[in-house]
Parts: sequence; structure tokens; C-alpha cells
Amino acid sequence: MATKRLLPLSLRLPKPSSLISRKYHTPSQPSPSPFPALETAILTSSLPHIPEHGFTPTTLRLGAHAQGYIPASQNLFPQGAFALVHFHLWRQREALKSCVVVKDAGKGVGVGRKVKELTWERLLGNREVIHRWQEALALTPLPSNLPTALQELHALSDEIWYLAGDTSVDTSWYTKRATLSTIYAATELFMTTDKSSDFKDTSQFLDRRFEDSRVLGEMVGSVGEWVGYNARAGLNVLRSRGVRI
Amino acid sequence: MASRTLRPLLNRSRFQCLHTQTPRYLSKSTKHHSAEAPNQSTPHERTTHFGFETVAEAEKEARVAGVFSNVAESYDAMNDFMSLGIHRLWKYIFPFSPPFLTERPKECEGRSRTKANPQTRDHFVHSINPGTSLPTTSPSTEPQGWKMLDIAGGTGDIAFRLLDHATHINASPSSTITISDINPSMLSEGRKRSLSTSYAHSPRLSFLLANAENLHTVPSSSIDLYTVAFGIRNFTDKPKALREAYRVLKPGGVFACLEFSGVTNPLLDAMYKRWSFGAIPLIGQLVAGDRASYQYLVESIERFPKQEEFRDMIKEAGFHVPGKGWEDLTGGIAAIHKGIKPVEKA
Repeated sequence: MATKRLLPLSLRLPKPSSLISRKYHTPSQPSPSPFPALETAILTSSLPHIPEHGFTPTTLRLGAHAQGYIPASQNLFPQGAFALVHFHLWRQREALKSCVVVKDAGKGVGVGRKVKELTWERLLGNREVIHRWQEALALTPLPSNLPTALQELHALSDEIWYLAGDTSVDTSWYTKRATLSTIYAATELFMTTDKSSDFKDTSQFLDRRFEDSRVLGEMVGSVGEWVGYNARAGLNVLRSRGVRI
Repeated sequence: MASRTLRPLLNRSRFQCLHTQTPRYLSKSTKHHSAEAPNQSTPHERTTHFGFETVAEAEKEARVAGVFSNVAESYDAMNDFMSLGIHRLWKYIFPFSPPFLTERPKECEGRSRTKANPQTRDHFVHSINPGTSLPTTSPSTEPQGWKMLDIAGGTGDIAFRLLDHATHINASPSSTITISDINPSMLSEGRKRSLSTSYAHSPRLSFLLANAENLHTVPSSSIDLYTVAFGIRNFTDKPKALREAYRVLKPGGVFACLEFSGVTNPLLDAMYKRWSFGAIPLIGQLVAGDRASYQYLVESIERFPKQEEFRDMIKEAGFHVPGKGWEDLTGGIAAIHKGIKPVEKA
């Protein structure tokens, strides 16, 4: 430990590639990619093959082939086809940063509106692969994949609230993210079966879910207020009777 | 009674372990020298370890040969004892995966899944998934099979499974394998066993008597998959063998190694050590009448570099290591290490 502290800072800091996840966010440094350079290259050239071959090892092999690798190189991805799913999730999440709502058009827009816009933007990120997305959803609940998938979902809702300009530091930090994760996951599943033009049905579905959460939030708030009021009243009644509380 | 016979063995092994601490560093430093200037030291000056003993490099090869000549026939029984029988699980358990993960090419869809040999349910082989190919654009072009090389594969155990998997799961009848071993008696055991498989006398299976540190008969960049299962810890010069693996592999080719490794849970580790040092040499003595060979096998497992260290050795040979670089099996009793030879960009 002591010798480690004597090393120059550049040696003490872990290399970007070895950083799978960072426990904090800073706008001054981009978050490190969970994929090393070689894997990124192969996965990037795999993406165009997804609409045809889906989230399968075949797609990975075609991507590897484009980079001059042989079918045996699929061993680069111990988690197999799930690497494609993870890469897609990560890339689409990163793409939100350059979204119009965040950049300039979002000056006078409220946080809630921005969250809605960003969620819709992210859902449209699945447009090209939506007919294959159920394959990806089938891969995610595997015990070996589930932690990564849940982390990605949390990271997404966290990213959306952050980009929308939410700065809450109370318990609503958790409820906001949990609610948005639920809404997103439900809408994404709905979208896989949506046959309407421009995903109109999905858009309406999303609106209804946000409305639900608003109503539910109000309800929870009102119930909380009622319980709090009665508790305080009850306490005061007891006090007026001489109970020392 | 039993504990009285085991205790001196345990004490002795512990003593030897302490005793050989210094030579261990010695052998390490010679390794570094050899990497920088391979021709400066003559072979008889250089030492390596044979179990817990330190021996001259030239001597190790002969002594390892001795061990394996002795245990060739009882080799599988010995693997049973060494891994508490779990090596069968590593081999037979099919990891849980949805059907389209183990996708089958169109041309073999007519065949029923049950026709696949149950022996192909091998975790090591399945994780490598040999025999896969790109989807063919025209039916006339036959996809190229994998060229595989199974080092230290004497008894053919892994090699037959690799071929089975390539043939039945990935419909690649053009995949071939070469079984290489330094030991003629292990190799002839493999030849004997191959007669009971469908690959006997077929051009898909060949045998090669060679030292893994010098595969001069294998051309450079010619192999898709290089496997070594429970063999690399017996090599005299492991970095040299890794460099040789790097040479023979095609760019993008895979180095895959299944080997006993460091148990990660300290409690399990203590129990496993007690079992391996206390019981296995004894069993070797009782079952095969050969204590020394089994003592060596146990010690060589203890001496083999642990996961991180071996991963770094693979990296040093030039390989790209996927993910964290290894997969622990049963808490680290064994581990699968992989490396991919990167494609040089022009």
C-alpha cells in the first residue's frame, strides 16, 4: 500500500481499458468504454449484420471477418452473442449525449419534458434492430448476463435523468431512476411487437406510462401527506393527554 | 491411523515448500534472462523445477517423460483423484444456454439434435466451439474447416471431443486435428483409443511426436486452434512454448489452455491441498504402485503459475487476452485460459 502511494500518479491510476466501471461521474473526463480497442473494432463492424443475422455468434463472426479475423476468433467474446447486446446498449446510451434536446434546443424545456424526449430518443435507437430485439431480450435474463443487463438499464435511466438536468440528492433520486427503468423496460418490450407506422402505438404507450407514474406519484404523495398529518395529530392528542413524548 | 500416516506427508511437503523458496526466484530470474538473451547461458547451467525440486532444464524433460511413461495407462483414473472427480463435470456438463446460442447451420437442420454425440457436452470444448464457419453465400463453396493442434494430447481425450463438436454441432466435416505429444507411450495410448472412434485411419486425425517448445514440422500461421489440456505445467520452458504457439497460429487463431490452477476460496484451498498432498501420492502408491510419479503431479500443480501470472505470460507471448483472461472452474481447481493472436494491421 505504502509503496503504491509513492508511485507517480500516472502509474497509480488504472489504465482506461482495465476500468470496467467507474463509481463516479465527472463531465471533464469521458466515461471509459467497457470494451477494449480490438473488441470495439470487431463489434462495430458486426452491427450492420444484426438486422440480417440477429444477435448471434454468426454476426460476431461476420464482424470479425470484416476485421481480417477467422471464425475461431469468436473466442474473443467469452459471453458470446451477449457481447453484441451489451455493445448495442452501451453505444445507444452514449449516443444520447449528442441528442438535440440536451444540446441547444432544450433551453426553456422542463426536466420532465426532457426526460420524455430522451426516453423516446433512446427507444428509437432500437429502430434498426427491433425485429431482432426479442433475441437480445432472451439473452439478458441468463444468470451470467443479468447483472450486466441490469447495470446497463440503471446506467441508462441515470444518464437520462442526468442529461435532463435533474440534480436531486434526496430519496427521489432512487424512485426517479426506478420508475424510469420500469417505464423504459416495459415500453421497449411493447415496441418489439409494434407494427404501427413510425411506432405511433409505442409513443402513445410511453405517454400513458408517464401519465401513470405521475398519477401514482401524486397518489403516493397524497397518501404520505394524509398519513403524516394523522400521525402528527395523533401524537398531539396523546401529548395533550399528558403523555411525555 | 489414517491421520498418523498423512501427517508426516503434509509436514514434509510444507517443509519442501519453504525449502525451495530461493530456487524458485532463481528459476524466475533465469527465465527473464532467457527472454532477453536466449543464447548467453548454456542449457546445463539453467535450472527449472520438477515438482518442488530444482533440476537442470535438460534433466526435466527426461524426468517428466519418465512420469508419463509410468502413468500413461492409469492417466484418467489419476485425473479423477486429482480433481475430486470433478473433471468429468467440466467435461460433461453443458452450460445452460438458449438453443440459438448453440445455433446450427442450415445444412444440418434436418438432422436431429439427439444424434450429436453426448461426449461433445464438454465445457472446455463447448466454450471454444470449434468448427464454426461464416455463413456460405453459395451452396457450392464448402466452408473451410478448422485446423486444430492438440498439444500434450496423448490420450486423445480432448482431440476426439473437439472433432465430435466440430462434426456434430457445427457440421464441419473438413475440420482436422493433430494430436501432438512428447511422450511416445502417451501417443500410442491415443492411437489405441482412436481405433474405437470414427476417426481411426481418417485424414482428419494425425499424430505428431514433438516437443511443444519446438514444433518445427508445423508451419507458421497454419493453425486455427491450439489446445493444451492439463499439459502445460509439465513443460520445461513455458514462455518458449507459448511463443511457439504464437508462431504456429494463424492471425486471429486461438490458444486455449485447460490447467489446474489456484483455488480462490482459502477454505476450499486448504481442504484441496490437504487432499492432494496427503491422499493422492498415497492413492498412487496403492493403486498404481508408483508414489514418486504421483507426488510429482501434485507438486507440479502447486508450482504452476496462478491465474493472473499465467494470463500475463500469455500476454507476454503476444496474445490478446479476451475479458479478464481466464475462466475458473469449480472455484479455481482448474482454469481455462485463452489468448487470440492479433491480426497485424498493414
